[in-house]
Amino acid sequence: MNATILKLVKDARAAMMLVIVATAIAIATPIFLTTGNLLNIVLASSVVALLAAGQTYVIILAEIDLSVGSILALSGVATALVLQAHSVFIGLIAGIGVGVLAGLINGLLVTKARMPAFIATLGTMSVFGGLTLYITQGNPISVDNGLFLDIGQANPLGVPFPAWIVLAALLCFGFLLSRTRFGRHIYAVGDNPEAARLSGINVHWIKISAFVISGMLASIAGFILTARLSTAEPTAGMGEELSAIAAVIIGGTSLMGGRGALLGSFIGAILLGVIDNGLNLLNVSPFLQGVAKGLVILLAVFIERNSDVMQLFWRKIQKDPVGRRFPEKPVPDEGNKQKEVRY
Amino acid sequence: MRLELQDIRKSFNRIEVLSGVDLSVTGGEILAIVGENGAGKSTMVRVISGAHPPDSGQILIDGEPVALRRPEDAMQRGIHVIYQEFLHNIFPHLSIAENLFVRDDEGRFGSLFVDKRKMRNEAMQVMEQIGLKVDPDAPAQSLSVAELQMLEIVKSLSHNIELLVLDEPTAALDEKEASRLFLLIDSLKKEGIAIVYITHRLEEVMRIADRVIVLRNGRVTLDRLTKTTTASEIVAAMVGRSLEDFYPKESHVTGDTAVKVSNAACADKFKDLSFIVRSGEVLGIGGVAGCGKGEVLRALFGVNPLSAGALALEGRTVEVKSPKQAIELGIGYISPDRQAEGLFLKQPIFDNVSIVSLDEFVALGVIRSAEEKERVEAVVKGLNVRFIHRDAEAGSLSGGNQQKLLFGRWMMKKPKIMLMEEPTRGVDIGAKAEIYKLINAQAKSGTAIVLVSSDLPELIAMSDRVLVMREGKIVAELSGVENNQSNILHYALGSNT
Repeated sequence: MNATILKLVKDARAAMMLVIVATAIAIATPIFLTTGNLLNIVLASSVVALLAAGQTYVIILAEIDLSVGSILALSGVATALVLQAHSVFIGLIAGIGVGVLAGLINGLLVTKARMPAFIATLGTMSVFGGLTLYITQGNPISVDNGLFLDIGQANPLGVPFPAWIVLAALLCFGFLLSRTRFGRHIYAVGDNPEAARLSGINVHWIKISAFVISGMLASIAGFILTARLSTAEPTAGMGEELSAIAAVIIGGTSLMGGRGALLGSFIGAILLGVIDNGLNLLNVSPFLQGVAKGLVILLAVFIERNSDVMQLFWRKIQKDPVGRRFPEKPVPDEGNKQKEVRY
Repeated sequence: MRLELQDIRKSFNRIEVLSGVDLSVTGGEILAIVGENGAGKSTMVRVISGAHPPDSGQILIDGEPVALRRPEDAMQRGIHVIYQEFLHNIFPHLSIAENLFVRDDEGRFGSLFVDKRKMRNEAMQVMEQIGLKVDPDAPAQSLSVAELQMLEIVKSLSHNIELLVLDEPTAALDEKEASRLFLLIDSLKKEGIAIVYITHRLEEVMRIADRVIVLRNGRVTLDRLTKTTTASEIVAAMVGRSLEDFYPKESHVTGDTAVKVSNAACADKFKDLSFIVRSGEVLGIGGVAGCGKGEVLRALFGVNPLSAGALALEGRTVEVKSPKQAIELGIGYISPDRQAEGLFLKQPIFDNVSIVSLDEFVALGVIRSAEEKERVEAVVKGLNVRFIHRDAEAGSLSGGNQQKLLFGRWMMKKPKIMLMEEPTRGVDIGAKAEIYKLINAQAKSGTAIVLVSSDLPELIAMSDRVLVMREGKIVAELSGVENNQSNILHYALGSNT
């Protein structure tokens, strides 16, 4: 029983932390739970949520993508420039094209050029960011295409359009990860690339695809940000890659690869958004917001890494006669004799 | 020293792993403890080392009841354990001497600055005692696994030692290294040290132990002097059945040639290799380490593709450039290292089985999960795998069950040719017998099997025909009565006897 509860605490820690933090803020300020404010949070979290979705794929593969912030800015700027002369459709294609191409470059560097993802994407982060600044000469590019601005500003059914995009991304990419052969292969490669290769999986192709997905979602996040502000800022998205990684980690995806899920990353992104929003409402110094976010990240990882210590604590409260000292994980061979299912 | 355990019980999560174990060992005696995986051997070791204090029962040293609550308690009384995972205790970049005296509680080599020369000299001395001739200044990572293990033993010798527990010490050693270890153990015994030796391998028990204890399901099922017992009695006590059923070889050879390899070569690993395998046949390949027998399988499976020669499957010449292609052509492969190259330890048990067969129940890339579950369940049923829940991670299974899972993976795919290398390595006796049955079942369904194994009794018993390789070439083909241990060794070693 207690093991089940603890597993729940561990697996759903992001959701539980979200509930606890949200409840606390709701008690402290009545404005928090108004529809307007909640929609604000969703809107504010949408960029990080999309970046985190792509990042989840990459991190399950035990890789990392530091360049998503720069890709966001580059494709936002590319879209804005194309929109000056072309239709929305062409603009979106151009923006997504930039994201896909950037992701492809990352993927090729990590696989074919055999570079560690941390270094490769640190490099491309700088390259893409520099290119954006060079193209714009550091100036924001304004957008006045009404149809495009709707991406960030329309409210179909009273909900901001970016929220619909995030919902669609959650459904699509969640489905892709959990229900398809491609998703199964992602987990397999992240868990054990050599075994994956010997199982007939094209490991390079899987990794490249994940970076491409990450780049593509970054470009969609770029649309949202550009459309909301009516300008493409060359410095947009700076630092967002770290928020996205934080959201993924809070959501329970393991940096070691092979484990994780998309829903957790979304909840992680919303949690970060709730903390920002709540501290604003409570008039806490904006300089302290980083501290609060940092503590949440540390707590999330602490719960993951110390679930056995918590189990001990739990047993102590319950005065369970079996729990004596930890860590003494039951030896798997020997522990499951009586509960085992036999086939 | 005399160590006695009386009626020791130990449970984890309310599941009893040791159910009243009695044993004793005296100075100058080598006691072997054998048992299948899960029999409780490792827990037993941890009780003796103080790492897992028992729930009930008594531990006596020289007749006095003692409490071993922590590993330090046991060490103070001269009990040292060399665990199977002893490599974790080595600091690879430190020198051998530094590794040896990494715990210098008494400050023998100075308390602030280390007297390196003194340390070096003492290291030389203790290593000389056991005939380990290495430079004490060399980094520990320059030693072989066998030498590192000796180093661990030497490390315990530098403290007071009365009882040495060795947990599967020969698991990573070759024949020659093992012999050296046995010499060392024997000399320790002569010095009056009591030795507890945990192992899977019966030959070793018969060779070095004075007495043997068999554990099964947390109980002692046999306690004899090795002089007065036999291997088959020990096996019977381990598995609760006799040795005769152990290699349940069935022959299913048909007339159809499934695989034809002609003049195959792969870089410097092997050359000019020609053989055929019929469907339903088990073709064994034997040879000493480094003869290229494993490389043949890896080449046929496309891991390191052939550099010359031809491969024909059912009369059709094919080229295999990658494992993906090999699988599509109906070839399966079981790697000798199931953890590094076989399983996805963090993924659910069922996903590990279906991974190569996903195409069979995928529509537009989407997995039909009900069908997947049904198909995997059908396969797993035949494997006799023990697990708590199908969503449990594969890493939670014991070695034998993990290996059976790999067999399940390929039984689901039903390849026409199955390549397997060391399919029973690190697997307990009970699971071994079950794996042999799985091999039979595959052969019966018409699969052509190539079995590469270093375990000679297994190779001989399970193969319809055996090829012997030496230095990258086939030197003999043996079948029938010729297929025996001395012939294989003769050709494998190239001796003239």
